[in-house]
Amino acid sequence: MTAIIDLQLFQAAGRPLMLALLGLSVLLGLSGMANLWRREPWREKESRVGLLLVNVLFGLGFLLIGWLHWRINRELPLALPDQLAGWLNSQLAASNQGAAYGLPLYDPAQPPRYIIPLWIENEKYYFWFMSFALVSLLAWRRPTSHRFRGGLLVLLAVQVALLFSLADPFAEPLPRFFAEITPWFSGDAQPMARMGLFMQLYPKMIFYYNAHYMWLHPPLLFISYACITLTFLASLFMLVGRSQEIERLGYDSAKFGYLLLTLGMLLGYPWALQAWGPNWWWDPKICSSIMMWAIYSTYLHTRLYANKVSMWYFSSFLGILCFAAMVFTFLASFLFPGEHTFQ
Amino acid sequence: MAKKGSYDFQLILATTVVLAAISLICVAAMFQFKAAAIHTLPPEAKVAWQEGMNRLVAPFLIALLVLLGICVPKRLLPTVWLNRFAALLIVTATLTGWWFGVKTGLLVILCVALGLQLAVLILALLGSERLNFTNKGYWGRVGSSLVHLGLVLFVLDLFFYRRPGLHLLLFWVTTAATTSGMICCFYAEGIVRVLGGGKAED
Repeated sequence: MTAIIDLQLFQAAGRPLMLALLGLSVLLGLSGMANLWRREPWREKESRVGLLLVNVLFGLGFLLIGWLHWRINRELPLALPDQLAGWLNSQLAASNQGAAYGLPLYDPAQPPRYIIPLWIENEKYYFWFMSFALVSLLAWRRPTSHRFRGGLLVLLAVQVALLFSLADPFAEPLPRFFAEITPWFSGDAQPMARMGLFMQLYPKMIFYYNAHYMWLHPPLLFISYACITLTFLASLFMLVGRSQEIERLGYDSAKFGYLLLTLGMLLGYPWALQAWGPNWWWDPKICSSIMMWAIYSTYLHTRLYANKVSMWYFSSFLGILCFAAMVFTFLASFLFPGEHTFQ
Repeated sequence: MAKKGSYDFQLILATTVVLAAISLICVAAMFQFKAAAIHTLPPEAKVAWQEGMNRLVAPFLIALLVLLGICVPKRLLPTVWLNRFAALLIVTATLTGWWFGVKTGLLVILCVALGLQLAVLILALLGSERLNFTNKGYWGRVGSSLVHLGLVLFVLDLFFYRRPGLHLLLFWVTTAATTSGMICCFYAEGIVRVLGGGKAED
């Protein structure tokens, strides 16, 4: 199976790309630290070119991930022998009766194929941190300060280091997905065992991998996380100085992030109903998301009064709290049980 | 940026307190969910726990809606009438909740808030000068009205979650109102530029 989709080629191309990304980000991180420390800007032009290159590398890697997903779509259909298709469809038709969301019938002429979004498993960190690199590049154009830009570079370097060491999507591509489908493509199961395997894979394909909400809900949230990180940095700088430009940049980033966060959360709602039924309410991940949204809403409200000293500091405190809530919400998937969990 | 000490400022502080309380309840619910292993309980016990949490958060949702109820007419009425209106709203919700249950009280508040927000939205769309917004621009006013309408609709949507048809219809209206409202509110100047008009305050 791995040979069919050229998995080794994917890994071989991804490895140097990640090394280049890490090397460049380390250099940018060092430049960022120097700028944070110094009174005068240091090598800002070179840092800007470096940041641009990081974005280009991220983009190339993203294209590579897209290529792998395209190969999976083309080469790994869930095809059943014809004699099982009729029996399967009678079972599906029976189980769909009265169900709010049923599974589509099997079409032997067009067996179901995976249309996997580009942000599952370790790829989600890749997309998230790529979004931050892009947000940083856009923020670079605004008149802030060399220290703020230095902070951006340090945060980016930390994220790339985490990506490289803990969640490299090229080192071990889609481990859970391949673990799930390997028994199917080993091809030595008896017909009824094969049918059992199909009924394990098919619902997850329809309600998770191929769900169109999967193309909207996670990326909106990850881009909003990148915006929240920028707001966090601006809020930190607001604690040590009263730069209107930095405050304005943090607010602009917060507005865009809030728009995407709200839309992303809302679009997760009908998907949750479809995949889990109505009993997902008060699930830990949902609770933490609402908590984060409430803090974000409060930040945007208090920011209206940031011209007053007390509210300036209070709104910057909320910007930092918002980032902490984002990290907590993300970790909730690992630390708390429930429907929306990786436990 | 707005001035401190105004009625708006007090309302924002009150909203902050209510949102903080809702956040704390959510965090508490997470830890309780894990500690009591709610996901392993039989469906009836799980639903009972959910109902308990709904009851716990309901007063804060009502408070949020009352604040919204005050926020909305503040754009239509003088302050003295606002305070009377707020008191009337709280008394009505409390009495209805006491007499007919928390859900009915919530529904009354929701209906009042919905009616008011629709009125404000129509006035904002017509460019009425009677509205008293912090935001002076046309698109900012329309956007703010839409976002607040979206919040009311969202709570109403949760209220009707056991009626799939109505629930999903309300959901999509909520999403459209909230998203378009935020775009109008946050990017009023851009909209004005795209439409070829003057300043966002026009």
